[in-house]
Amino acid sequence: MLAIKGGKILTITKGTIEKGTILIEDGKIVDVGPNVKIPEGAEVIDATGKVVMPGLVEAQCAIGITEESIGWAGSDSNETTNPATPQMYALDGIKANADEGGLRAALETGVTTAQILPGSGNVIAGNAVVVKTAPKDVADQMVLKNPSGMKVTFGDSPRRTYGQSQRKAPSTRMGVAGILREWLVKTQNYMKKKERAKDDPSKMPDRDLNLEALEPVLRGELPLLAHAHRADDITSVIRIAEEFGVNVVWHHAAEGHRVAELIAEKEIPTVHGPAMRSGSWETREMSFKTAKVLHDAGVKIAITSNATSQAIRLIPLIAALYVKNGLPRDVALKAITIDPAEILGVADRVGSIEKGKDADLRVLSGDPLDIKTKVEMVLIEGKVLYPS
Amino acid sequence: MLAIKGGKILTVTKGIIEDGTVLVDDGKIVDVGKTVAIPGGVEVIDATGKVVMPGLVEAHCHIGIIEARIGWAGSDGNEATDPITPHLRAIDAIKANAEEAGLRAALETGITTAQILPGSANVVGGTGVVVKTAPKTTVDEMVLRNPSGLKTAFGENPRRVYGQGQKRMPATRMGVAALLREWFVKAQNYMKKKERAKDDPSKMPDKDLKLETFQLVLEGKIPLRSHAHRADDIATAIRISEEFGFKLSWEHATEGHRIANWIAAKGVPATWGPSLMGRGKWEMRDLNYETPKALYKAGVKFAIQTDATGTGIKNLPLCAAMPVKYGLPWEVAIKAITINPAEILGVADRVGSIEKSKDADLRILSGDPLDPMTEVEMVLVDGEVLIGR
Repeated sequence: MLAIKGGKILTITKGTIEKGTILIEDGKIVDVGPNVKIPEGAEVIDATGKVVMPGLVEAQCAIGITEESIGWAGSDSNETTNPATPQMYALDGIKANADEGGLRAALETGVTTAQILPGSGNVIAGNAVVVKTAPKDVADQMVLKNPSGMKVTFGDSPRRTYGQSQRKAPSTRMGVAGILREWLVKTQNYMKKKERAKDDPSKMPDRDLNLEALEPVLRGELPLLAHAHRADDITSVIRIAEEFGVNVVWHHAAEGHRVAELIAEKEIPTVHGPAMRSGSWETREMSFKTAKVLHDAGVKIAITSNATSQAIRLIPLIAALYVKNGLPRDVALKAITIDPAEILGVADRVGSIEKGKDADLRVLSGDPLDIKTKVEMVLIEGKVLYPS
Repeated sequence: MLAIKGGKILTVTKGIIEDGTVLVDDGKIVDVGKTVAIPGGVEVIDATGKVVMPGLVEAHCHIGIIEARIGWAGSDGNEATDPITPHLRAIDAIKANAEEAGLRAALETGITTAQILPGSANVVGGTGVVVKTAPKTTVDEMVLRNPSGLKTAFGENPRRVYGQGQKRMPATRMGVAALLREWFVKAQNYMKKKERAKDDPSKMPDKDLKLETFQLVLEGKIPLRSHAHRADDIATAIRISEEFGFKLSWEHATEGHRIANWIAAKGVPATWGPSLMGRGKWEMRDLNYETPKALYKAGVKFAIQTDATGTGIKNLPLCAAMPVKYGLPWEVAIKAITINPAEILGVADRVGSIEKSKDADLRILSGDPLDPMTEVEMVLVDGEVLIGR
């Protein structure tokens, strides 16, 4: 048993405890509060003067799959040989070892949970996975949820990758939408054939892993993780989603402020960023101010580094810049903890300091949004992993 | 009948016999021991002062198929025109004659058994074959086991050849995994159709040689010989093997030390090497001589291999000696070039140790097999003295 006592505890979901204690057993938080009795023999970490908060949750990144500092040999996120590859699994491209730069940086920053997605070269890019960032021998041991969503890409990326570079579809936004519809219909046909063959195995269609991967999307079990910057692109996603009855999470949302009311009405959670970067036509409106507009409209938002495009270690700074641009402080903190946890469907395990949740914790020298604050300790499932 | 007497016999599986005798008849070992009676009139080879051990077994090489010193005209290991070529068979490209330098070097080193595999350009490269290295007129006469496994490649090679070189799948590790899954599912679909057509031949699908090969893997008749340097790549291979229920071996295992416990728990055998070259690509940057010790300590069954394409195969004993310098027990290193590869290749009933009724494939040495100064004095395959007479 482990007790972290004396710290200022930001539970995120149940307020701030000014001198509180967190009790940990078997990797779980078993108690938290101002007057928790520490059992005899428990190991005690004195956090007096420190801030204790849940490990951060990154909803959109490519750490481990686009390995740091390697170039081609470690770049496994974009299977840009076919615009529709629903049978890809990010898990198959992740290097788990502790020396992978991005995973290591995540851990040292106290990002303890991360969703790793295939890249944005393909219209249907494949399955994302949610992992813990504790170093393991193999990626399978890191998994919190797999698959966690089906990555789809709208806008310029697939048009450039295929239309411009390979003279293949899609070269237009119509083409992008066409490919997604075509595959969702193929999957519906496949599901119908399987249903009809239930009582007659001789009629069963050949098993097809691409279509099987899309089945949970059509059943509403797996959301489309829709990469889109422009308002018209997310509008097309919504149009298609409603035609087929599938769930959507909006990733990037550079023009989120243009359609905030619509997104709120459609109840589409939004992962915003990378706001420190802009460079292409479709991201020219990317701004920290967008999150406030989305929040004011009632949209649930997560804040992303989009690592490796921005360094994952900058998440606290990124969150602070959203606050500078009008996002309420408590909302910014939620947007890097409990809100992404809920969007990823792992809030029963992570995202806040509550009884029964995983003991994934960050112990800080001060305010989490002050850039001078140091990460002093990171725990995952009750183990102190940083400093190692 | 032939008797080899007076030598220090390293049986590999049953200890060391000082001043022992190996009795050979009809290509087989018929007796071995300290006090074997040598029948009258038998030819006797005096091995006094020598070391007698089983012929070495090379678990993974490309001799004979990527012929030494010829270049393009003799390079038949990589059909790099399609990432999935399970219907290709290494046996169809092996030059059997005694003058092929790689095979010749193997024999002269006392490597009497070798698995020759297609290269690693393709995700699925084709089937390997286990041969004896005694010179024959045709490769068919060399075969010990065929097919011996289906070569698959994970990691950089197929990504470079197809994604980089030809702008085709796979460009990524996800793509390698997806292609493999896709084809195993095709094979399962094919097998189901054949099963359903059992009582109605008119419904039988056309015979498909690619899928027939996958069927051998799915039925457990041959393993997937999985080329992978990195730990995450073999983890992916194991993930897929568990989804479909087939056996595999880990070829190269450069990052074996990173994942030894996982491999041991999964019961996956490994063949480690090549190890005498530089760290030529990113996925090999962890190459070091301590990996075999880590595999051994975790309880992984492993062989040491050269991956040779030519005369480099003569370095197999040195490849086993270097890890001993870094802590691998000597006996384990010896097993890693004899009985362990024999077991991993599925030919341990025939080769890999000096035991009664096994093939009389023997190596007679001037001294310790792992001392680089030791000379190979005689090599026998199936009881015939092929080197040293």
